[in-house]
Amino acid sequence: MLKADNIKKKFTKLIKKKEKVEFYANNGISLEAHDGEIVGILGPNGAGKTTLLRIIAGILEPTSGMVTFDDLNYHDNETEIKKNIAYLSGNTKIYNTLSSYELLHMCADIYGVLKTDIEPRIMEIAKILDMESFLYNRIGSLSTGQTQRVNIARCLIHNPKYYILDEATSGLDIISSQIILNFIKGEKKKGKTILYSTHYMEEAENICDRVLMINKGVVIASGTPGEIKKSTETTNLRDAFFKLIEGDNHEE
Amino acid sequence: MKSNLWNILKKELREMFRDKKSLAMMLVIPIFIPLIVIGMSAVFEGTMNMPITDYNTIGFDYELNNVEESIAQELQINPVYDTESRLEEKFLSGEIDLYVTKEGVVYTMHGSDTDTTQYASGLVESYFDAYKAYLQKDYLANHNVDADEVLDIIVLESDIGTEENFFVSYIISYAFLFIIMAITVSATYPATDTTAGEKERGTLETLLTFPIKSRDIIVGKFLSVTVASIITGLISLVLAVISLKVANGMFSIYEGVNLMLSPAALLYAVVVILAYSFLISGICIAIASKSASFKEAQSALTPLIFVSLFPGLIAFMVGITTNNVTACIPFLNYSIIFSDIAGGYVNGLHILLMLVSTILIIAVVLRVIIKQYKSEKVLFG
Repeated sequence: MLKADNIKKKFTKLIKKKEKVEFYANNGISLEAHDGEIVGILGPNGAGKTTLLRIIAGILEPTSGMVTFDDLNYHDNETEIKKNIAYLSGNTKIYNTLSSYELLHMCADIYGVLKTDIEPRIMEIAKILDMESFLYNRIGSLSTGQTQRVNIARCLIHNPKYYILDEATSGLDIISSQIILNFIKGEKKKGKTILYSTHYMEEAENICDRVLMINKGVVIASGTPGEIKKSTETTNLRDAFFKLIEGDNHEE
Repeated sequence: MKSNLWNILKKELREMFRDKKSLAMMLVIPIFIPLIVIGMSAVFEGTMNMPITDYNTIGFDYELNNVEESIAQELQINPVYDTESRLEEKFLSGEIDLYVTKEGVVYTMHGSDTDTTQYASGLVESYFDAYKAYLQKDYLANHNVDADEVLDIIVLESDIGTEENFFVSYIISYAFLFIIMAITVSATYPATDTTAGEKERGTLETLLTFPIKSRDIIVGKFLSVTVASIITGLISLVLAVISLKVANGMFSIYEGVNLMLSPAALLYAVVVILAYSFLISGICIAIASKSASFKEAQSALTPLIFVSLFPGLIAFMVGITTNNVTACIPFLNYSIIFSDIAGGYVNGLHILLMLVSTILIIAVVLRVIIKQYKSEKVLFG
């Protein structure tokens, strides 16, 4: 089980290049994700989704609060935890000068996949994601959709238990988005735990078991899509979100 | 969990060797060394060996006697006779290279500060030395004194370096100084690319999600930049040695000069290259990793190229030599130890002190970088 407990993350920003102002990108966020569950993190741009997922993925350290994976925390078991995680964001870039094969081989090595298992594992994933035709081409020469498939393959190579996906479909065309969504559904069926952040409310409604709506660094609602719609007396998550933040964003 | 250092190093080297700019920096910069060696040799050769016909037309405002004419002929002086004012006009128009006026027993040479006048004055001084010796011998003979016994009462022999050796050691020192600069230039590009470049391309975030200790990431990057620097340094050394060999066969200024080519000297030169490559790679990564973008990192690293050159240049100008203190001063020590090696003089203690100070500095620099890689401001700022 993945558990984030009262996560706070403070940043400092410069206003007009002079005045330093502190602000909380996350201000006391807690969540749980159980095995075989897709938990959606929903919110507009700047709500604190990326910061939260970076903290959960171990890229950033929280100012306070703790993240645990099966009761292991980053302070004592960072590499052990990271071996069981796959992180993919809409901004995730991969090495253009390497071929897909070289990248997957490197990732498998880094994640400690057995030497004898690496080659068959790469071939198996290449077949599943239909990458065989460009497996040995340099990533820099691939199309956006092909690159995204390589990114998914990178996440699959070590058969992780947890997926942390941050705006993974952002900016992608309909076909590339569908590849990602199919991948998420497929991994859920295998019992994997998936954290999925997006600002596409309809997308989240379709694939998430539970959602966490955040705005300005705090949780404004959580539960199944049905529960949130019911509590806000709306018919979809988009309307629910607007109802929840009604009046709150006018000051900006 | 096993160290992922090798995986990171392998990835960095693959990226570096596939990047045309990194390769160009690594391989093209050393090509300037033969150009410098051959170019400087040609310039010095031209200065040293000006043909005598370029400076042997000398004006006289008096008629030379038979003895003077004979000496002038022997020294290949081409005399031109005229009045002082006409000689001055001829000198200014370039018809003559220098002119001599006579008033009683005082002879005065007139000319300017050009190279031609300097060579011509040397020739005229030789002429007057010979004429003066003739007059002294003649005077002594007329007074029944053995001239040889009086004039050769003392004998002065010379065992100091010739001007040619000075030029050659100057060329060798600059060739080695350029090796230092080539290593610096070679380190800056991959250091920028692997730190600020990786940040700018967005691949650093991917790297940080891997189960790799930040120490392994830093050391892997550091070693890959060091490999690039060492390759440049070794290519530069080979080209310096080859071009000095070629210049030795082409130019007379190298006559009698023992070039630094012994295996031991080459080995010491390689040790200096290795030490400097490690140091400069660490410093480049420390500076570049604090930069938010590739451009910012390049701007921050540019002064380093001058910093690597200045201590050596100043040492050559003011004559700073290697001692136990200067052997420990970074940047200065590599240049002056290189000079020692070029001069055929190597002190094992100085090499050891240079290595110890380099290791200490690298240890500090690596600690700083590892700390930087834990700072979110540096990683995402």
